[in-house]
Amino acid sequence: MADYTKPIPSPDPVSQPFWDGAKEGKLMLPRCDDCNRCHWYPRVICPFCHSMNIEWVEATGKGTIHTFAVQHNKGLVARGWADDVPYVSAYIDLAEGDRMLTVLKGVDPKDPESIQIGAAVQIEFEAASDDVHIPFWRPV
Amino acid sequence: MPGPASKAAAIIGAAEANDIGYPQTPKSSLTLHIEAIKNVCDSTGIPIAAIDGIFSAGWSPQIAEYLGLHPKYIDTTAVGGCSFEMHVHHALAAIHAGAINVALVTHGEMGFSQRFTQGKGTGRPGGAGDPWDPGTQHTMAYGLGGAPTAYSHALNRHMARYGTTQEDFAEIAVVTREWATLNPRAVMYRKAGEGDLPPLEKGEWGGGKRGHTFGGPITVDTVMNSRPISWPIKLLDVCLVTDHGGAVLIAGPEIASTSKTPPVWIAGAGESISHWNMLEMNDFTETSAGRSAAAAYRMAGMGPEDMEMAMIYDSFTVTAGITAEMLGLAPAGEGFTLWKDRHAAPGGRLPINTNGGGLSFNHSGMYGMQLLVEAYRQLSGTAEDGGFSGDPGKQTSARSCIVNGTGGSLSTTGTLVLTSD
Repeated sequence: MADYTKPIPSPDPVSQPFWDGAKEGKLMLPRCDDCNRCHWYPRVICPFCHSMNIEWVEATGKGTIHTFAVQHNKGLVARGWADDVPYVSAYIDLAEGDRMLTVLKGVDPKDPESIQIGAAVQIEFEAASDDVHIPFWRPV
Repeated sequence: MPGPASKAAAIIGAAEANDIGYPQTPKSSLTLHIEAIKNVCDSTGIPIAAIDGIFSAGWSPQIAEYLGLHPKYIDTTAVGGCSFEMHVHHALAAIHAGAINVALVTHGEMGFSQRFTQGKGTGRPGGAGDPWDPGTQHTMAYGLGGAPTAYSHALNRHMARYGTTQEDFAEIAVVTREWATLNPRAVMYRKAGEGDLPPLEKGEWGGGKRGHTFGGPITVDTVMNSRPISWPIKLLDVCLVTDHGGAVLIAGPEIASTSKTPPVWIAGAGESISHWNMLEMNDFTETSAGRSAAAAYRMAGMGPEDMEMAMIYDSFTVTAGITAEMLGLAPAGEGFTLWKDRHAAPGGRLPINTNGGGLSFNHSGMYGMQLLVEAYRQLSGTAEDGGFSGDPGKQTSARSCIVNGTGGSLSTTGTLVLTSD
């Protein structure tokens, strides 16, 4: 963990429950108490019905690949990721709705045809620091 | 029936900075602005002192100060490369409202030469800052940076949804390069060292008449064999990174009639946004150009069938392909066919990106001004005699043009319907 060289996000008061959950290996999502829809990224107001009654719920951690790309260019990716190219970035459709950006684990970046849009994926967390555990996804 | 603001103002002149592309001696972003402003005022005969509204992607206060102007309208809208199409929309509204008489839309950006200033002072909008910004906080862990790392996700989704291929999108790069070989100011105009051209000196980047190492015609194979950047995007699916300065003047009919260069009327204008961070893009195969184009067509009282040419933002081949669909120029999933079937090519029924595009002409980071300058040159007839640059470039007899800019991560769009007298 001390040698984690990739960018580490800074939790803020709005997103803190998500990062608290991540430390325990749980995917916590904000859900609107009025329209019952989950959203991502976390907000103080529901982007669908504009209610400010937001609660946090534990999600299944299941999703599907919406789309993906293989990052080949060291100069275009953040320091810490350059040594990992090629790697596969992806947008994940969450089972509870809305979408997350991630990096896919357990796929072959040299064979993008082997990765399927729509394939089922499961979340996992990697400890980047004591306070921040980062979500990644892996095909099941 | 056109809307009340339709043709309330015209673009009465357009010009570029003296050196664009890869200048041998770098000029500051501000100098690129000023050269273009001086050139457009010289070509129109409208004095700089007559400008009473300034529109630019963040630079308006500096431009006003540098020129000693005290404008009555200051607009710094900076939402990516389409900002300039939005500036034209805003200038039309301001003139229609009677707030100003002469609007300046201006651009200067050392996309290439910033390497000599370590990226400081490049004129690029936005930038990192607040680590709590959700677009930063919830994406930074995954290392995505430059625009190609984002747009590739849209291309892959388009291929999965419509069964399109990388070769289909490569056709866009091939035809766009063909246009560039007709434009002596295009970076990829021709191949350096060929014919009686002297080879490039060590450290010289070339471009334009000097030629470029990879300039001249290309094929689908050239694109397919170029190195992967962010699969499925390859190097030749990606725009250039160059210097550019450009400026246009906009005014109502009375002042337009006094200009030395002809008016190109702003028949329709619209703008929209679907998201800012790609994380929030709902459908990766659609952009807000559908909405901004609908607004522009409505104001103009015209439709896609009335357009005789198109200037479409081609930051990537996928940007151009999807946008052609959004503008109603081709059915969903079939935008690329305009290029593949050569409708968009020289001699085709709907010339697209007649300057050689962001892919092969010039792309400074924001490309919206280049679109405006070329649309003006073609519709006004000023490309016929070479205009101020001395290079003739009449590519079409089109009398109407749809211009669409895209900014951010397929996020923001501005669309204009322009017509000549």
